[in-house]
Amino acid sequence: MSGYRFDRLKVLVVDDNAHMRKLVVTILQAFGVSQIHEADSGNRAWTVLRVSNPDVIVADWVMEGMSGIELVQKIHTDPSTPNPFVPVIMLTGHTHIDHVRQARDAGVNEFIAKPVSVKTMMSQLVAVIEHHRPYVRTSAYFGPCRHRRGVDEYRGPERRADTKQQAAE
Amino acid sequence: MAGRQQPIELFMPPNMLKAKVGGGLGGIDMAAMKRAEGALDTRKSEFADWIASDVKTLIDVRARYAKTPDAPSRDALMRAAHDIKGQAATFNFPLIARVAGSLSRLIGDLPASQALPLGLVDGHVNAIQVIHRQGIQDTNDKMAQTLCAELDARVEETLNPKKKS
Repeated sequence: MSGYRFDRLKVLVVDDNAHMRKLVVTILQAFGVSQIHEADSGNRAWTVLRVSNPDVIVADWVMEGMSGIELVQKIHTDPSTPNPFVPVIMLTGHTHIDHVRQARDAGVNEFIAKPVSVKTMMSQLVAVIEHHRPYVRTSAYFGPCRHRRGVDEYRGPERRADTKQQAAE
Repeated sequence: MAGRQQPIELFMPPNMLKAKVGGGLGGIDMAAMKRAEGALDTRKSEFADWIASDVKTLIDVRARYAKTPDAPSRDALMRAAHDIKGQAATFNFPLIARVAGSLSRLIGDLPASQALPLGLVDGHVNAIQVIHRQGIQDTNDKMAQTLCAELDARVEETLNPKKKS
C-alpha cells in the first residue's frame, strides 16, 4: 500500500493507435485514475491539454503530424502552454540508447519502452511523482534537468552551448 | 572564451503532483497493480482482434507504398511497423513483434534517399501474416525462428552491404 490518491490525477493519453490507448487507459483506470482524456495525435493533444490542463501526460513518440517529441517541446516552450512543468511519460517502440538520449534532450521526464506492462506503468507514474526534477532554462533548452544527480550545486556557465559554438566555428 | 558563455538558470518548481496525490511511502501500490493485471486479463479476449486490425493496417500501407513509393507512404509504413513492434508482444505475439522490429529497422535505418527493397518489405509483411494466421505465439517455434533469423540477416545485408561475405 503506497497511499497514493491516483483518483485525484488527471491524465492525458496520446497515441494514434486506438488499441494502445485502450490498453493504457485500462491500466490507468485500474490504478484508480478517474479523469482520463485521450488524443489520437500530437495536434489533437495540444488542443485537449490546453482545455483540460492534465497533471500527467502519457504520449506515444511516433505519430503522424506532430510527434510525441515535438509535443513535449511545444509544451515546454509555447507561450500559450497551460503548464510547462507537466510531466510527460514517453511511450515508444524505440529501444535504442540514442532514442532514449533524444527523448531526454527533448525534455521527456520518463520513458517506457514497449511492450507496456502494468509494472512499468506503475513505476514510471511513481517516478514522476517522487523523483521531481529541477528545471533548466538556457538559450537552447527549457525543461526538466537532463542530469539525474549532482546538479544542485552547479551555477556555472552553459558549457554545452559554448562547446557547440566552438564546434560550429 | 568567456564572452561566449551564456547564463544557465536552474530552479526547482513546487511538486504539485506530490501535493495532489500524497503517498508518503513512495512505494509501488501492489493492490492497484493486481487490479490492473486483472483488468488486462479481461481485455485479453480482444487482443486477437486488435492484432488482426494492426496486421491489416500494415498490409494496407504496404500496398499504398508499392503503388506510390513516396515519403508519406514510407512514413505510414514505418508507423505501422513500429506500432506492431511495440504492441504485438503485449498482445501475446512476440514473434510478430520481432519481425516488425526488423522491418522498422530496415525502414528507419535505410537512408531516405534510397528506395525500400519491396521484396524484403514483402518478406516481412508475409511472415507477419503467416505467424498471425497460424496463431504462433511460442517464441521457440522452429519455423518462425528460422524465418525471423533469415529476415534479420537480409536486413543486415541490405543496411551493411560491405559486411556481406
